[in-house]
Amino acid sequence: MSSSTLMKTFAKTDIVDTLIIGSGAGGAPLAAELARNGKTVVVLEAGPAFPATGHTPDEIAARELYWLHERLSAGTNPQAFGGNNSGTGLGGSLLHYGAFMPRMDARDFHLHTETGKGVDWPFGLDELLPYIERVESFIGVSGPAHYPWDPERRYAYAPPPANSAALKMREGCDALGLRHADGPAALITRDIEQPHFGTRHACANCGACHQGCRNGAKSGTDNTWLPMAVAYGAELRPGCFAHTIERDSSGRVTGVVYRQNGVEHRQKCATLVLAAGAVETPRLLLTNGLANSSGQVGQNYMTHVSTQVWGEFDEDIRPNRGYPSLTITEDMMRPKDADFVGGYLVQSLGMMPATWGQNLARSTTTRGPAFARALAGYNRSAGMGINGECLPRPENRVTLSDEKDAFGIPKPLIEHSYGPNEWAMHHHAARLMTQMWETVGAKDIRVIDRAAHMIGTCRMGADAGSNVVNPVGRSFDIDNLWVSDHSIFPSAAAANPALAIMALSLRTAEAMLRT
Amino acid sequence: MSHPPDRPEILDSDHLSTRTREILTSRLSVSTAQPRTLSLRAYAALDALLPVLLPLDEILPPATDIAMTARIDAALSGPRDGWRFADLPPDAEAWESALLTLDDVAAEQHGLAFIHLAPDLRGALLDAVMEGQIGLEREGRLTASQMKRWSGDLRGEVVDCIMSDPRIQQALGISSSLTGGDTVFQGFTKVGSDSREDFEPKATAPLLQMAESSE
Repeated sequence: MSSSTLMKTFAKTDIVDTLIIGSGAGGAPLAAELARNGKTVVVLEAGPAFPATGHTPDEIAARELYWLHERLSAGTNPQAFGGNNSGTGLGGSLLHYGAFMPRMDARDFHLHTETGKGVDWPFGLDELLPYIERVESFIGVSGPAHYPWDPERRYAYAPPPANSAALKMREGCDALGLRHADGPAALITRDIEQPHFGTRHACANCGACHQGCRNGAKSGTDNTWLPMAVAYGAELRPGCFAHTIERDSSGRVTGVVYRQNGVEHRQKCATLVLAAGAVETPRLLLTNGLANSSGQVGQNYMTHVSTQVWGEFDEDIRPNRGYPSLTITEDMMRPKDADFVGGYLVQSLGMMPATWGQNLARSTTTRGPAFARALAGYNRSAGMGINGECLPRPENRVTLSDEKDAFGIPKPLIEHSYGPNEWAMHHHAARLMTQMWETVGAKDIRVIDRAAHMIGTCRMGADAGSNVVNPVGRSFDIDNLWVSDHSIFPSAAAANPALAIMALSLRTAEAMLRT
Repeated sequence: MSHPPDRPEILDSDHLSTRTREILTSRLSVSTAQPRTLSLRAYAALDALLPVLLPLDEILPPATDIAMTARIDAALSGPRDGWRFADLPPDAEAWESALLTLDDVAAEQHGLAFIHLAPDLRGALLDAVMEGQIGLEREGRLTASQMKRWSGDLRGEVVDCIMSDPRIQQALGISSSLTGGDTVFQGFTKVGSDSREDFEPKATAPLLQMAESSE
């Protein structure tokens, strides 16, 4: 972050209006919105403040952007965390996210009404759309002049250039008669002066979005909401790991104890917002035994079905170059031949070499010279991948394990197993993408079965008996406790979650200002 | 400027930031004096396992040693990636137990330590591990299903080590580290197929020479 103004600071004895745990997509828009409306705000962030110019495309070193407190992964589809999920540092997961920014499909808000499966959201797209448009406008999102699945939609920035994988996927879509477009990407393609931040440069097509954007082109919270929050008087405290939520005799939250540089501190607050993500938010509630009269904290952990299909081409593809995932088709949001409910988005995939190699290594058992040759095929490889609905299931959840971390707090155990709907979607997508790659001449086609993202665990809904928070994110049990992150999503939907998280964050901020 | 065989040209590119150059350069010189994480016995088994999992003789110039065993051993004591399979012990312990399991099974099946097995027998044992057919039900060892899980971690760790090595990146013609320098952040001007920019490396790996010569 570069901020020309000196950041205001608060004394720990001050009772700040709002204390927020987490500085990513859930916490940052809300911090900015509350500060702009005159509230005193402190944001606790477990990770450091990374200077953007210090980001490195080296995938091993760039793991510093991942949430590195160990998680235990179980179930029949144990999820590989690491680069795939939570982040750390001012900016949260958006420091390493891929910036793919589709909007949630209107039908995904009402999946249960439509299909009898899954869960409805307590409101529809019409409710969230104004906030979505505010987010897109403020952070900067690029997209095509004409979006085939939503002709009314407009993007402020032209798309970045299509890389090899994006061009190949266009060919595959054309061959099968699928519509395609340049997908919405949260990056800017011309230099701008970002309010309260400074100069952000146009995307340089470096391809290392997941390792941290070095020139401010990628729209995170570190170069948008957080500097705005600071400009309006919020204090950001990096390096602060929050672990204990304190309450008064009536049960209301009075403050949070956190550790900074090995020392315990206490910050008092009138209102607390948890924005720590779908694992750390329920973990905080479970370790503190809070806000769980519904028994739903940690329940209904969801992901996205994120099957990938890769192929090799007789061309120099160089999949590290350019924005990694530009081409999109939304034609599979409700495919006619589906044997599952919900739908999926397909995107083209370039990828950095170690991440690509990890996927290859974990999805095959090839060894010896054949393994070496497969890895040597990196520069000729292009991929496609999906994000698809994952139904809430009782066996998928976040609980506290018997193992303690370095802070003496139980490590989270994340159980994740596909059900029939997820497997049916996986197979459908694998068939489709394999056919697309075959049609355009790919060889050595490889299907990778994987899940991505993390959603659910503090469900939002109208009924206090079966939900953790109400439809604006407020705890049913503790009236000065709010949750603002993807843990409140009642269903996974197909779209990558960052945009909806930020839109919900603004909406929750408005609700807080009304109370 | 001439380059000793061990110093890949990409390290002198002005498309590399100082920090990235330092990270990559640090991988050229790794202490192999003694294991940092594994016991000598487990380290030796890993050293004998890696060539049958991923031989590099078709990728790197002859006699190039990238010290994969030492780097993996060191990495196991460094920062990890924040998660593990719940049915495996913590990483360093899982690796030690897995490699000792392999060594014990080699002794039981062939009457020889794993390091003394011929490459095809080592390969066959690794195949059996990946198929979930080999394990031991005793303290300090891993069961067959745990060994299968661990084999995924093994493969992933090896790939991290390989693909982040500047000599491998040079040999495979990979430009992923060359995103931009300190003062000028160049990125890439060309991102389509068959459009290598001058600063991007050409593959030199023997197994890719055929493909390159037809360019």
